[in-house]
Amino acid sequence: MAAVSVIELLRQQISTCEAQLASLRQQLAEAEHLHRQQQQGLQLKRMEEQTRHNTASTSLVHDMSYGIHDDFRSEIFAALSHPEEENVPPRRWPLENSEYKRYGRQLIMPEIGLQGQLRLKQASVLIVGVGGLGCPAAAYLVGAGVGTVGLIDGDVVEESNLHRQILHSTARVGMTKVDSAIVALSSLNPNVNLVAHPARLTPESSLSIMQDYDLVLDCTDNPASRYLISDTCVLLGKPLVSASALRTEGQLMVLNNPPLPPGGANGGPCYRCIFPKPPAFETVVSCGEGGILGPVVGTMGVLQALETIKVLSRGVKGLAANGTTSPEPPTLTMFSAYGSPMFRTIRLRGRRQTCASCGAKATVTPEALKSGSLDYALFCGSVAPVDALTANERISVDNYAKIRTEANPFTGSQPSNDSHILIDVREGVQFDLCSLEGSVNIPFSEISRTPLKPMREDVAGNHDATPEEGWVAALRSHPEKPIFVICRLGNDSQLTVKKMKALGLDNGGKRWIGDIKGGLRAWRENVDQDFPDY
Amino acid sequence: MAPAKVPPGHFPILYFAAAASFTGKSTEHLAAPLPLGRLFATLDEKYPGIRQKVLDSCAVTVNLAYVDMEGEEAADQKLVIQEGDEVAIIPPVSSG
Repeated sequence: MAAVSVIELLRQQISTCEAQLASLRQQLAEAEHLHRQQQQGLQLKRMEEQTRHNTASTSLVHDMSYGIHDDFRSEIFAALSHPEEENVPPRRWPLENSEYKRYGRQLIMPEIGLQGQLRLKQASVLIVGVGGLGCPAAAYLVGAGVGTVGLIDGDVVEESNLHRQILHSTARVGMTKVDSAIVALSSLNPNVNLVAHPARLTPESSLSIMQDYDLVLDCTDNPASRYLISDTCVLLGKPLVSASALRTEGQLMVLNNPPLPPGGANGGPCYRCIFPKPPAFETVVSCGEGGILGPVVGTMGVLQALETIKVLSRGVKGLAANGTTSPEPPTLTMFSAYGSPMFRTIRLRGRRQTCASCGAKATVTPEALKSGSLDYALFCGSVAPVDALTANERISVDNYAKIRTEANPFTGSQPSNDSHILIDVREGVQFDLCSLEGSVNIPFSEISRTPLKPMREDVAGNHDATPEEGWVAALRSHPEKPIFVICRLGNDSQLTVKKMKALGLDNGGKRWIGDIKGGLRAWRENVDQDFPDY
Repeated sequence: MAPAKVPPGHFPILYFAAAASFTGKSTEHLAAPLPLGRLFATLDEKYPGIRQKVLDSCAVTVNLAYVDMEGEEAADQKLVIQEGDEVAIIPPVSSG
């Protein structure tokens, strides 16, 4: 049984590696190709022969690369073969013939038209984060012919990204997200200048990276980045199209529009104006923890592209220069996939007078940003793993595995007769996916809702606390059995142990309550490799 | 999302994202009238700890308009939530 699963695992690994290798070969071929073209641009005929020879002998090159190369090549050929002519007659039409064809369906709309398309072509936008939001946003902006699109992300593609991050592919798992996106985007529209920033945005780098762009899209996944991007946009005078998504909900805002300098009362509000205080860090949930439905985050990314096209085709540079108010008052669009109505549009206020970033007495300055004195991680709270317990309140997965097997070989079959109680505090849906035999599920959301003091009835006489109290009473009814708490990664389990003790479930120290270090992830890594990794 | 009818003397309140997780519901009805300045305290009595953990960082809207909870706008400090007003608690969602 074990040998079979090892064989299967190895087969999977080999096929994954082969796919990565094929993808790397494809990238290498493309890079070499471009390099050669730049180097030997003047020796056109010879290069063409050589290219033909190379591609014919490189059987591993992906079909798609021909599309990229052919388009690039014909452009370069066209540019190089008419060097004198270009200076003499002015171009007859403002766009290339191929552009009329490619963008025809949007060109004939009054909202875009020739002027709008030219503005898109001259514009440059930076997409911060090439994930669930950034992928669809980039696809539509590149498709629409935005002249320059910069992509910044420090992550690599993972298998668990693919259900929603539509530019990446199974073959490109392990590649940087920026490189993977560029492969997809350059085949979508080779006329767009794509700029790679394969790194995380930091307070030290944000000003220099963002200053070259006309507009920024916040497609990131954490509060610290959201404040950093907003602050930098205010300092540089760039409009910001910000979106976020979690589970079944999304939020969308166009911020700092018009992008007046700090203190400019008619400028659009910034992220700090709407959310002056960051969320308590223990309530911040990532898509990895909370879950995300692909079309939900996709919807938000597509809406970001839409708002960006609206701002750019209207002329972003004009807005900043003449200081007029935006034609649309600022709004926050809320999307609830399972709500009715699905969309709510909230009217926002203008800039907050006291805003630390865009207010009259702003304290966020370029110097403060560059020197690193604005500690965004600190402002938004610690994101470090929870370390709430002492050593004797914790047990390793290996030692817990011994307790399960040695104390009672039939552990799990009759948990009520067991020597101990194992509490799994993951949410019910996750518990239903997979769980340890004999474990009892008490979702962490229920635990954190439970008040420490008995709750009074509210005015309407509701007994909201009754079901929450249920689990406490159940544990109290077995006062002697030690309680082991487990969760997915080993954070919520620690907070649960603290809460259980605060509720007096340890009988003043007579009953042992502790957490299983590293949670089910550690269990999978050290004890049971077959336990699902979701 | 909101139950069909708001009982007399109440207003509907909508909870999004972390506020929905904390309260375990997406909507309910609270007694009106309620001064805006009393909203967070009222909710914290009902859901102990919600103010510090969730509400302090939230945007609040009344009838789809953003209201200031920082005490900067004099008009908002005097605002009283009336019967039938729709209030929403909107935590910042940062993931994506």
